[in-house]
Amino acid sequence: MTTVNLLGIAEHARLGESPYRVDRDGAPYVPAGDGGIVLDFQLGDSVFSLHADHAAPGACLVHPDPAARHALTTFACIGNPAQVRTGPAAGAQGVVLGKRGEEGRVVVALQSEQLALLRPGDELLVRSSGQGWRPPRLDSEIAVGNIDPATFAALPADLANGGAAAIAVRAAVPSKLAGNGIGRPAVSWDLDLQLTEPPDGGQLLLGDLVAVTDLDARYNMGYRRGFVTIGIVVHGASPLPGHGPGITPILSGPSSVITADVTSEGRAGLTLEALQLQ
Amino acid sequence: MKLTASPRRLARQVLAGEIWPALADRHAYRVDPDGRPFVLPGMGAVTLGVHCGDPATGHASDHLEPGASIRNRDSGANMALQYLTCVGNRVQVAAGPAAGASGHVIGQHAYVLADFPEPVLAQLAPGDPVTVFAVGQGLALADHPQIVVKNCDPDLLAALPGGTAADGRLEVHVAARVPAEAIGAGAGMVSEYANTDLMGAYLGLSPDLSLGLEGLRIGDLVCLQDSDHRYGRGYRNGYLTIGVISTGQCMVFGHGPGPSTLMSGPADAFRIIDDADANLATWLHPWPGEQ
Repeated sequence: MTTVNLLGIAEHARLGESPYRVDRDGAPYVPAGDGGIVLDFQLGDSVFSLHADHAAPGACLVHPDPAARHALTTFACIGNPAQVRTGPAAGAQGVVLGKRGEEGRVVVALQSEQLALLRPGDELLVRSSGQGWRPPRLDSEIAVGNIDPATFAALPADLANGGAAAIAVRAAVPSKLAGNGIGRPAVSWDLDLQLTEPPDGGQLLLGDLVAVTDLDARYNMGYRRGFVTIGIVVHGASPLPGHGPGITPILSGPSSVITADVTSEGRAGLTLEALQLQ
Repeated sequence: MKLTASPRRLARQVLAGEIWPALADRHAYRVDPDGRPFVLPGMGAVTLGVHCGDPATGHASDHLEPGASIRNRDSGANMALQYLTCVGNRVQVAAGPAAGASGHVIGQHAYVLADFPEPVLAQLAPGDPVTVFAVGQGLALADHPQIVVKNCDPDLLAALPGGTAADGRLEVHVAARVPAEAIGAGAGMVSEYANTDLMGAYLGLSPDLSLGLEGLRIGDLVCLQDSDHRYGRGYRNGYLTIGVISTGQCMVFGHGPGPSTLMSGPADAFRIIDDADANLATWLHPWPGEQ
């Protein structure tokens, strides 16, 4: 496995000349929380708890050069360490939680006191590793990506059954609810789920593991009957049509070798406790 | 389309564009649904031999754009061109060997897509300037306030079969009905620009990819089920979107033949009629000057 130090810059929120976007019912709204540094929103919070647009829990990292920004987004994996290099928060250790698509953003969580010291423009060093890695014994039909090996080991995934994966998830969502991100490469984009409330009357929290049925995310993401994709919820809901809480995919393959268990008790995904950010 | 109340008066604007070259990068390859790399033509420049009524699939192509692919060099002017141009608008070649020739818009993609008679297409090249007579945005149906119409030339609307039915619903003829599972790249984008790629139309690839859409033709009117395109493009149970297939065969996974949006609203505001002839070729051909 190759480890590469990448430079991420804490993003400043950006808007066009009009402050308004148009929501799914045709009403204009101001998209607070879309990119940049968002405080008081963290792993374990409901994706619907903020009146915001695509808010991510922590800091979004970017790079001023578009190609470098795509590389940062593509190579950063969930669980990679990210250390602040400049400004009052210098030295603070964060963790990559996931990524967002389009131009590309890497979402990094920090302890809340240190996140509050972070300022747009501050530099972070992302120690990227994970793309190209496969767990030993994983069934060859299953693709894995976007995840640091140490973090994968901490997830409620069981590979004991001859390489098949059994994984405890918060919810299973049908592919017809896959929105923005469909048709895009799973190593560089998140996939928005078109949800305006938690599925099946339950809850949907940042960091949850979610299954999407009939979705093949081994390369680009698209419809394939009998496949299932597992992702980690990385940002909150959106008023935009075709958008919603987003997952970063980590596993994809035929449902014959990936079992998504929505009934298990031990279905916590990525938590502050597991990432030692409490 | 027979309507009891006239659509409101619309602004008609003269817009400029040029035929845009096909683009590639030095890595050349893209990846198909099974992980195989490919290099195939389709986007940009002038694509010959495919017109409304022809099969959308079965071509050795990726993002097949029939006819001429048009942009404006200035980014702001380009967005005006892309947003304001409507299906059915007249396009005229402004200079070059085919100067004066007319065609019509069949949809939007990352470009305005204009179809011309084959002898005209044969003379067109990237860089040739074209003029678009844009009209249609703002079109509203007084008797169908729940339905939002967009990207539709009023003359095309008038030529469509159907109209206000006896029960007050809007009757629309479509060549195919598309399940929500087919919605691919383009979900979440605005519906005045580009189109919605439909998955499940990978002719010749494995059956687990199929949603029965391999028979789509360029120019087909289609009904997207559980799709709401009134203010963008998203899933909404009980809503319908009517579109016209403006692009064809794709090999990039999650992409496919794409409808440009024409109408959207609650399903119970429509009366959908299955009609194999519901294709732009029925209403826009013969070509200007041809009989």
